[in-house]
Amino acid sequence: MAIRNLLFEHRLVPGIEEIDVYEKHGGYEGLRKAVTLERQAVIDEVKTSGLRGRGGAGFPTWIKWNGLPKNTDKPHYIICNADEGEPGTYKDRELMLKLPHLLVEGMIIAGYAGLGTAGYIYIRGEYVEPAWQVRKAIDQAYKKGYLGKNILGIEGFNYDLYVHMGAGSYECGEESALMSSLMGERGNPRLKAPHAPLPVHEGVWKSPTLVNNVETYCAATWILKNGGAEYAKLGTERSKGTKIISVSGHIAKPANYEIEMGTPLLELLEAAGGVTGGKLKAVIPGGSSVQIVPADKLAGINLDYESCSANGTLLGSGGFMVFNDTTDIVLLMKRTSEFYMHESCGKCTPCREGTRWLFKILDRITSGSGREGDIEMLLDICSQIDGRSYCGLGDAAAWPIVGAIKAFREEFEYWIAHKRSPVGDHAVPPTPVVVNPLLTLTPA
Amino acid sequence: MAESVTSNIREPQPAPVKESRFSELAIAELEEIASHYPERKAACLPALWIAQREYEGYLPPAAIQEVADRLGLSYSEVEGVATFYTMYNLRKRGRHHLEVCTCLTCAVKGAYEVVHKLEKELGVHVGQTTADGEFTLSEAECLDFCGAATVMQVGDKYFTQLTPENVVKVIDELRNSPDYTPAKLADSIVKVLVPGASEQGGGSFSAEDLKNPAGAML
Ligand SMILES: Cc1cc2nc3c(=O)[nH]c(=O)nc-3n(C[C@H](O)[C@H](O)[C@H](O)COP(=O)(O)O)c2cc1C
Ligand code: SF4
Ligand code: FES
Repeated sequence: MAIRNLLFEHRLVPGIEEIDVYEKHGGYEGLRKAVTLERQAVIDEVKTSGLRGRGGAGFPTWIKWNGLPKNTDKPHYIICNADEGEPGTYKDRELMLKLPHLLVEGMIIAGYAGLGTAGYIYIRGEYVEPAWQVRKAIDQAYKKGYLGKNILGIEGFNYDLYVHMGAGSYECGEESALMSSLMGERGNPRLKAPHAPLPVHEGVWKSPTLVNNVETYCAATWILKNGGAEYAKLGTERSKGTKIISVSGHIAKPANYEIEMGTPLLELLEAAGGVTGGKLKAVIPGGSSVQIVPADKLAGINLDYESCSANGTLLGSGGFMVFNDTTDIVLLMKRTSEFYMHESCGKCTPCREGTRWLFKILDRITSGSGREGDIEMLLDICSQIDGRSYCGLGDAAAWPIVGAIKAFREEFEYWIAHKRSPVGDHAVPPTPVVVNPLLTLTPA
Repeated sequence: MAESVTSNIREPQPAPVKESRFSELAIAELEEIASHYPERKAACLPALWIAQREYEGYLPPAAIQEVADRLGLSYSEVEGVATFYTMYNLRKRGRHHLEVCTCLTCAVKGAYEVVHKLEKELGVHVGQTTADGEFTLSEAECLDFCGAATVMQVGDKYFTQLTPENVVKVIDELRNSPDYTPAKLADSIVKVLVPGASEQGGGSFSAEDLKNPAGAML
């Protein structure tokens, strides 16, 4: 198991971001193969691969592709979610910077299979460098006839690809908020099934819309080139293929690692050079939205969707953060709750108010004014947010706090009883610089 | 007593003065970008980026008004959009806007020390601008390059693996550089949206920056 470079196969080839070099290494073969197939056969290939969405939720990709109407009564839009905002995750950044054609090719394949009219790559505003590479890749693909009118000489295969830039909002990674943002609105999420039609029936501009993550489209390229069955040979029963894991924190070799699904968590930890600056204390395996796992519970966890959720955490988007024993879990959670408070879009009460309350209580505990009953109050608020908020951000704000209290309750109790960090004066993250983050985080 | 009470506190602010600062090029860019979408309104975010460039790095009410007029939207609708996204500057920033990520990984890898150092070095607190208008200091949420912590965005460029020591060098470099301004960031973003722009080149990052995605690690 362990490291398995499929998408990353050519990432170190000099100049691979240029179309000529990319083509020399088998680039656009996936698309060329796809267009020799019936559209349904392309979708079936993705089905055979067992690919699941890499944006965090792990939804089977082929079901979305297959859900798009088979007629073109309305235009179909193909959207790439490149708003990568989950703390701990930086895989889409590297894919776009280094392998932009892998993404462009995947989006053309999806456009072919899904009868796409146009595609949009929604990139977060901060990612100017990656966006620049994507821009170049698209321009090159037009020149070579992979985009535009009658693509690859196929009569009637017309498909345009555009870049759309965000402007600083984590919430716009949530797919319905992303659609709002693409249409020129505030990044508020939209009503979802069963109360509203699915995006594949009615998404942007009331037209069928497909939304997938960068890594998902990149994997689709690989799958069409090498075959779905080949992809499905890797991984576990229900988590097929590979996943790119972004490793960061107290770790010797932080980087993106493409691993076979089902790789033992500890094996990746070792491959990344192990913990630095102290003894291993905990790992957050899937981005800030998932539950933290203490060091003694790491053995036995494999990096696939099932194993992670069976062990009380999630694979999420693959933001793998490693913490040594100088880390104060309560301070870490305070910073986490600050993130969600700042990013809450404000549309629904449980999240808008709840995230603030979570932060306030954690702030009070970590400034030495914690009260008895604060832990119960945190748990209570979390239970009122989780499952009761309008979109997934609320849930994502609650899960890490609940997880941390479950795994490190004694540290919360210590803070409340002793009014200082159980880790000592040099705990990280340090107690705050900022008096009122609501006012100072970003000046208007 | 009655005189000191303002009777009409609910009266709205006067409408912004209309200005027309979009250059011919900016208008051409806007029209090109608007043609990418089935509805003109979708060009709202791009238009705000163009405005942020044309109005020298921020969006005064006149900029919002101009975007509204050019897209056929109401002032309040565009204002609603502009206030939602943190990268639209509603107030003027320093020539360099230092946005230090203090989110999880960066926080445990010493981001706050970098912030402290900058505060000391520049004589300002987070959220403030230096007297000479050179630097504005902010905290940022995860910039999603956590492997290269501590990360700081300035204009369209990421500075990575910062420490209290090396950040001082970055500041010196910035003092002498015309690039990395808020207007330049807006310009780079607008260029990314325009088909064919890659042939003209752009962005203040080097070819080296683009080649080395994982910072010094890989
Ligand atoms: C608050 C929130 C933030 C999200 N951010 C992202 C993101 O940055 N990138 C992403 O691909 N998916 C993100 N998602 C997941 C998307 O909603 C959606 O599931 C995904 O884009 C679907 O693509 P996939 O099936 O290929 O994973 C986010 C979800 C939530 C609730
Ligand atoms: S949970 Fe509610 S307030 Fe929070 S981001 Fe989603 S819609 Fe907005
Ligand atoms: S935590 Fe700083 S870049 Fe992610």
